[in-house]
Amino acid sequence: MTNTLILKMIPTITIAIFIFFGFKNPSIKTSSYKCMIQMMNYSGEGAYISISLLNPEGVYEKTLFVQGDDDEWYSDITEWWKFHGKVRADIDAITGATIGGGERTVSIIEIDDDKINAGYKIRFESAVEDQAYYKDDVEFKLTSASVNSKVEGHGFVRYVRMMPQ
Amino acid sequence: MTISIWRYSHLTLAISSSIFILLAALTGIILAFEPISNKLTPYAIQDVNTLSLSKTIENLKAEYNEVVHIERDKNNYIIASVITKENKSETFYINPFTAKKVGNIIEKRAIFKFATNLHRSLFLKSTGRIIIGFVSFLLFLIAITGVLLIIKRQGGSNRYFSKIIKDNYASYYHVIIGRYALIPIIIVTLSGVYLSLEKFSLLPSNKNVHVLVKNSNLKKIDVSTFKTLTLGDIQYIEFPFSDADDDYFVLKLNNKELHISQYNKEIVSEKKDNLFALASSWSMTLHTGQGSILWSLVLLLTSICILFFMYSGFAITLNRRKNNTKIKNKFSKDAAEYIILVGSETGATFGYAKLLYKALIKEEKTVFISELNKYSNYKKAKHLVVLTSTYGEGEAPANAKHFEKLVNTIPQQKTINYSVVGFGSLAYKGFCKYAIVIDSILQLHQKFKPNIPLHKINNQSFIAFNNWLTSWSENKDIKLQIKNPNTVTNSKKSKLFKVINRSKINADNSFLIELEPTQKTKFISGDLLSVTPKNDPVERLYSIAELNNNIILSIKKHEFGICSNYFNKLKKNDMILAEIKQNKDFYFPTNTKEVVMISNGTGIAPFLGMINNENLKPVKSYLFWGGRTKDAYKTYSDSIDKAFYNKTLSGLYISFSNEESQKKYVQNSILEKIDLISRVLKNDGVIMICGSIAMKNGVMKTLENISRSTLNTPLNMNQIKTDCY
Repeated sequence: MTNTLILKMIPTITIAIFIFFGFKNPSIKTSSYKCMIQMMNYSGEGAYISISLLNPEGVYEKTLFVQGDDDEWYSDITEWWKFHGKVRADIDAITGATIGGGERTVSIIEIDDDKINAGYKIRFESAVEDQAYYKDDVEFKLTSASVNSKVEGHGFVRYVRMMPQ
Repeated sequence: MTISIWRYSHLTLAISSSIFILLAALTGIILAFEPISNKLTPYAIQDVNTLSLSKTIENLKAEYNEVVHIERDKNNYIIASVITKENKSETFYINPFTAKKVGNIIEKRAIFKFATNLHRSLFLKSTGRIIIGFVSFLLFLIAITGVLLIIKRQGGSNRYFSKIIKDNYASYYHVIIGRYALIPIIIVTLSGVYLSLEKFSLLPSNKNVHVLVKNSNLKKIDVSTFKTLTLGDIQYIEFPFSDADDDYFVLKLNNKELHISQYNKEIVSEKKDNLFALASSWSMTLHTGQGSILWSLVLLLTSICILFFMYSGFAITLNRRKNNTKIKNKFSKDAAEYIILVGSETGATFGYAKLLYKALIKEEKTVFISELNKYSNYKKAKHLVVLTSTYGEGEAPANAKHFEKLVNTIPQQKTINYSVVGFGSLAYKGFCKYAIVIDSILQLHQKFKPNIPLHKINNQSFIAFNNWLTSWSENKDIKLQIKNPNTVTNSKKSKLFKVINRSKINADNSFLIELEPTQKTKFISGDLLSVTPKNDPVERLYSIAELNNNIILSIKKHEFGICSNYFNKLKKNDMILAEIKQNKDFYFPTNTKEVVMISNGTGIAPFLGMINNENLKPVKSYLFWGGRTKDAYKTYSDSIDKAFYNKTLSGLYISFSNEESQKKYVQNSILEKIDLISRVLKNDGVIMICGSIAMKNGVMKTLENISRSTLNTPLNMNQIKTDCY
């Protein structure tokens, strides 16, 4: 008897869980940032670049943007893929085209305000077919100063510029 | 096998890279459709090139939150990267007049993605790219060697586009398509190589840097830069990222990049494209066909042509292989009595040389066969046969280039009888010219004695070669038999014929036999019927007369002749297996006014058909025939009477060599009609000869005399057609 009762309650419990945790806390504000990635003058295919949010422990928390819309190459961005490959969050709305050597691209990324000045980091990983993968092409702490600055890259990215919109 | 270095490289390169070229050509065909399908999309906006840049920017700024980038692509579509009113960054095709989106960026289709990948890297990433880049270079070399071969073949670069002589399907089209397709192939391969080199950073990149523009004049002129420039002038424009002073507009024109101040629109600095940037952009456009349907079609045709070249090229090679020229001599040069020397460019002539060699070996003669370039002294040699082709317009073929020098420096102990056989094509100006050169060299040589006159063979004719062989071997009192190498006894081609009628054997031991084809078969008088008796692999050829769609053969029974006895035993309604062989060289000419037909014995056969062909009536024909007895004539009299009655025959001149009242040969009756012969020769008429070789030789001598004595010119061989045995 008790068994069937628990079974019957499963849908109710599920709905309850969704009500509690499924929606964002509306009290946390989100801001948009204009983000420009300027590439080095390398030759070869267009680069795949993932922009991710890391928590203070350095663990992936969220994918902010992906340059490159063919998911068969996503595994080339090794570290990010370990995170995204498992979660497979829907990133359709935050993907753009790959960026070729010497090109630049401007995208709008959204970051929750409580992640700024809280030890969170933003990471730009880059990978080019047949060439190389840079785990931390660009990586910096999110502070109110850094979200309005220019940061040099180590790999395919020459620099990244961000500014609040 | 001696072939020139260019042909050798052409072939080696082609074989070594064939699989990759095949893949590249096949994928190239697919990829040619990509720019075409892109171009057929409806994103083109009319007069887009005339819209000013300032107006475009104004329109876009009104429509979107922010403009990041505007680009005019190779298809002349305008692409804008913008941040929309919904604060999303998006990229799409726009109509710059309205700033509205007209479509999403064309996505590369899966088939093109696949083909592109295979085309440039074989799915092998960098390794594949290196291979393809290298193969592209090889194909370039193939094209270059191809151009050189065509120039050699045509006899000079100024004759590159002059008429090509048709000898064989594969090689004719290999050359005729080649000389045009080589141009796009060179373009495609060079651009391919360039793109590969670029991908591997093996080319210097654009090292030009931005130079500050200080000239105040220039600044002033360009104050209204955006107003004077139209979309047609630019490749792209990048908008400044922020309001910061050092954020500029980046404006890419066709030959330079400008930084423009976002406040007063003055040019801050400029960077000129260097040659490499230009080459890179051209390589991309030329190799991919982006933006041009016409050029894409050229690329498509080029890919198809490459496939055709692979096919025809290998067909040519296999054809040459067939004439394999490896020489295995049984006897050494000093032990042989017969020496055969060959001059050949492609190896084709070796085929006949080997036939002769084998026939002599069979008769237990000591033979040595070699190339003209390996001329040496021969201790026991009594007979020399030179078989040679001619290269270009009378040059020595590749393996005969040193013969002239050698023959005058190497001494011979014995006097040697020689005979020269020239191979060539009447379509070329210098028909058998090199054979004539050799003949004259040997004539001047003390140790060489002419044996039978120079013999010229058109288009590798087996019949002509056999003719020479007969007269040459008769001269030496040996009997040589050769089999036509091109006749593969192909039961598929052989057809059944039914015996309809046959005549009695006449006093000359000859008879007529009438055959009806059991299936639809095309033939006309002058064609040959090939019959291969079961117990003898050597085919026999009989000249055909076509009468009422049936075949008439005239056959002479020899006491021990296998084939003639086989025919003699045939009765009405018997079936025989045989094959029709076209013999266009002995068709009745229709583009002339008068034709003289000369024959003896059973050689009358094809003429029986020709004189009874109503379609040939406009051409006047005269028939000479020589037989042994009057009785023999009766065999043919019915057909000849009919021709007279129908007025398809204008004159008949008969001679008998073995009658009590007459001992006369054909030559004699020709001499009696010297006026007729002279008139026909003078008016570009044609003389056809069919019958025995001995008769032909006699007749030719007579004709030569008539021509020289009445017309004062040597006999024009183009007016003579022969089919003799």
